[in-house]
Amino acid sequence: MCRADRLLVAAGLLFLIASPAHAAGPAISRAATPFPQAVPPAPQGGLTISIRDLSAPAKLEPQLARALRESASPGFAVTVPGGEARVGDFSIGSGESRQGDFLILNGDADLYGRLSGNLVTVGGNITLHPGAYVSGSVLAYGGEVQDAGGQVTGEIQTLGALDSAAPAAGAQATATPPIMHALRNVAGLAGIFLTLLCIGFGLVLLGKPNLEIISDTVTHTFGRSFAVGLLAQMLAIPTFGVLILGLILSVVGILLVPFAAIAYVLVLLAAVLAGALAVVHALGETYTRRRMAQGVLLGTPNSYRYVLTGLAGMLLLWSGWAAFGWVPVLGWIAFGAAALVTWVLMTVGLGAALLSRIGLAGHFAGRFIAPETLTDEYLWATPQFGVPAARRPGQHKTPPPVR
Amino acid sequence: MRAAVAVLLFVGAAATALPAQTLSHYSVSRQFHGEVHLVAGIEFAGGTLHVAAGAPGSLYAMKLAYDADRFEPVSEWDAGRGAVTLGLASRKNGAIGVNTVTAKQDAAIAFSPQADLALSLSLGAAQSVVDFGGLRLASLTLETGASQTEVRFSRPNAMRCTLAAFRAGAAELTVRSLGNSRCDRVTFEGGVGSVLLDYAGSWTGDATLDAKLAVGGMTLRIPRSVGVTLSTNQFLASFQPQGFTRQGNTYTSTNSAAAKRHLDIALNTSLGGVTVEWVD
Repeated sequence: MCRADRLLVAAGLLFLIASPAHAAGPAISRAATPFPQAVPPAPQGGLTISIRDLSAPAKLEPQLARALRESASPGFAVTVPGGEARVGDFSIGSGESRQGDFLILNGDADLYGRLSGNLVTVGGNITLHPGAYVSGSVLAYGGEVQDAGGQVTGEIQTLGALDSAAPAAGAQATATPPIMHALRNVAGLAGIFLTLLCIGFGLVLLGKPNLEIISDTVTHTFGRSFAVGLLAQMLAIPTFGVLILGLILSVVGILLVPFAAIAYVLVLLAAVLAGALAVVHALGETYTRRRMAQGVLLGTPNSYRYVLTGLAGMLLLWSGWAAFGWVPVLGWIAFGAAALVTWVLMTVGLGAALLSRIGLAGHFAGRFIAPETLTDEYLWATPQFGVPAARRPGQHKTPPPVR
Repeated sequence: MRAAVAVLLFVGAAATALPAQTLSHYSVSRQFHGEVHLVAGIEFAGGTLHVAAGAPGSLYAMKLAYDADRFEPVSEWDAGRGAVTLGLASRKNGAIGVNTVTAKQDAAIAFSPQADLALSLSLGAAQSVVDFGGLRLASLTLETGASQTEVRFSRPNAMRCTLAAFRAGAAELTVRSLGNSRCDRVTFEGGVGSVLLDYAGSWTGDATLDAKLAVGGMTLRIPRSVGVTLSTNQFLASFQPQGFTRQGNTYTSTNSAAAKRHLDIALNTSLGGVTVEWVD
């Protein structure tokens, strides 16, 4: 088994093993209602959930889901600053008055009396009976709030699934497993790849000479192309402004403003797109030629293959981010690196497109022999391959005259 | 062969891990405790939005079904100002890719019919139906981007409205029964798109309309019983009014002198086309 295959199989197994754990997610599935009891506060550094501010419940959701998951485990503890947590059903009687914030896990809350604070249920419903009074807000995560005549000075909120048929809907959509992130990114990349591939093939079909000239410009004048591309990016907006201003000041040209604006944007887009595809073409051509130089048979080396190979290279560049974009630091690094390389290449492409007048001028394409000089006589007299370099004889710049 | 096995493993893992993509649900409401005014803002990034009058016992209420990967609910209450902001905002770090769930997002927002409502709406890529029938609308500001929005005044406004301001980008905006709105002044600023301003309804006073239109089409549907004075400042725009007499850049409807209610229109258009339709 070659090394690449081993890596592939190992990675596949890794995903297969890891995925069920991720797929399970923080589902809001209510187990049998536990015996009502208070949950002890967590030790220092343990799970702490503050429900003092319920204005952004979506941000609170991961913590609530975690608390629900862990609530069934023995020794479960959670700290609610300024309040308390409980598991099982909870109620405040009609003559009763409680103070502080209450977090109720895996149970319903029935309020008949007064509560000075917020109330949150996770995996349970809240019922506000007539005469109930809550000075704060109430939130049912994975449940419903039934207002039967109670009074709440704050907000009444529900979060998660509304119907019992799909209890985990909210949690599933909120906590996307890494494999989903990866698949989504891969799908996005595949879409971009296919789109560029279609445009690239179309360009090869309809504008191959232009594409090849830009591609050769990329290959032969990389640095200059980058500099021109960078300059173009900096001057794109000022140039547009000057163009529009000039047309407006000319009065007669005012009529042309919309057309000029559209034409400018189209030309810029064409240059960027043609440049990007030319870079891809150049990458593919360079790679293919090097492989062929190593004696690898690659079928017919043509522009279609170059574009395909180059795009595959770009896809490979972004695949690291697609696979590991969900990993906090590594994902950002992978994204930053791929974005930086892509920007450099697109800048080079834009510069090459401008230098070559979108493939109309081959001055920088390394084509030292003008096409019109490539006559049959020239080609017959000039060997295409295998011209040995002749060493200059002796120290003389010119050979001695023949006597 | 081994590569194929690896691919199969990937696909298998994906199949086991792939949950059915669903929407999250969120609801928020606040009970009505005798509030007189409510300053409300709606920010809605994408999906379908319905705004209407709610139950008397509720100051405001919102029910949302949303894609939690890309969006998050907005519910901010400012007790000092008596102001609330509701809606759905894009997450800044949302994943890219293909998703059909976003299109199914839905929001229903209701306001108290008892509190004076100053409402501002900011709509993104949304399809919206906003019905002010039954509400006490004090003022309205609506900004909409690439959206399809229908605003209705299905019943006469219970109070006088000082201003209804509409700003539309590349949008399709329909405002029906503006006569019921009791708005003294209506302004419209449009970019690219089409707009219909229908002035049907029960008129209780005179009104003005300031319309600025860049590129796009505007249709004004005006009852025949309303006298209209229309002043234009046009640049390359087409305007072919019927039922008007022209004096310079000012057009006056033939019924203007006899009409009980009047609508003064100031049109400022560059490339847009304006059409006036008379309705019974």
